[in-house]
Amino acid sequence: MSDLQELYQNLIIDHSRSPKNFGVLENATIKNRGVNPICGDELTLYLLEEDGIIKDVKFTGVGCAISTASASLMTETIKGKTREEAEKVFDAVHQLITGKLVEKPEVLGKLMALKGVSAYPMRVKCASLSWHALKSALHYQQEPVSTEHE
Amino acid sequence: MEYLNHLGLDAVQQHEHALLECATQSLKQFPELTIYGNAKEKAAVISFTLKNIHAHDVATILDSEGIAVRAGHHCAMPLMKRFQVPAMIRASFGLYNHQKDIDVLVQGLKVVQKVWEKAYV
Repeated sequence: MSDLQELYQNLIIDHSRSPKNFGVLENATIKNRGVNPICGDELTLYLLEEDGIIKDVKFTGVGCAISTASASLMTETIKGKTREEAEKVFDAVHQLITGKLVEKPEVLGKLMALKGVSAYPMRVKCASLSWHALKSALHYQQEPVSTEHE
Repeated sequence: MEYLNHLGLDAVQQHEHALLECATQSLKQFPELTIYGNAKEKAAVISFTLKNIHAHDVATILDSEGIAVRAGHHCAMPLMKRFQVPAMIRASFGLYNHQKDIDVLVQGLKVVQKVWEKAYV
């Protein structure tokens, strides 16, 4: 598989065309916005947290295939997880897309589809936008996160 | 400056304008491609979008084909809002470009379409 085929594998393109959990979550307890001002991607993440568990999660926004697919896969993965578990997945994804995976691939499951991003440093920000919004939301931060302030 | 004066700025402009005309015509073969900005005296740049494929995805695939384009807001976010697009792709032509570079761009855009269509199969 070439780098390009790995980046744009079917799972990524499918999720970008028909993102899961796309829309506003009316009863969200935490909301956070993520922006990537250089490329124009923006995303709002909605979480419903009860007793430390992410009961429901949705997102809205516009972005490229990588950023939309990453957000879609993220919502699928973290639904039902505790805040601590979600943070662990965040760490593993960050390692994966920057090419420094130390966690076991089992932690990531389907998210391994994002592996191809590591060959494209320019696209790491696309893939990480929703995850930074998640991390910020898990820490109850209200300020929008920007990929330019890392 | 010596080099440019030796060539003559008129000659440079003519060369770039010819490339712009040719590239604009070539890109019209893609029905899902929209070109923004058609001023008569414009510089040799073409800003465009492809339907349903984000500018950054187009740019990454073109890059893999050896084609360098700019993608994003181009430091003109209000303009993107005006045209109601999230981002654009911009191909620029200069003195150092040839007609054959336009063919390479056209081939590159066909690769973009292929990568996207493949996922339907």
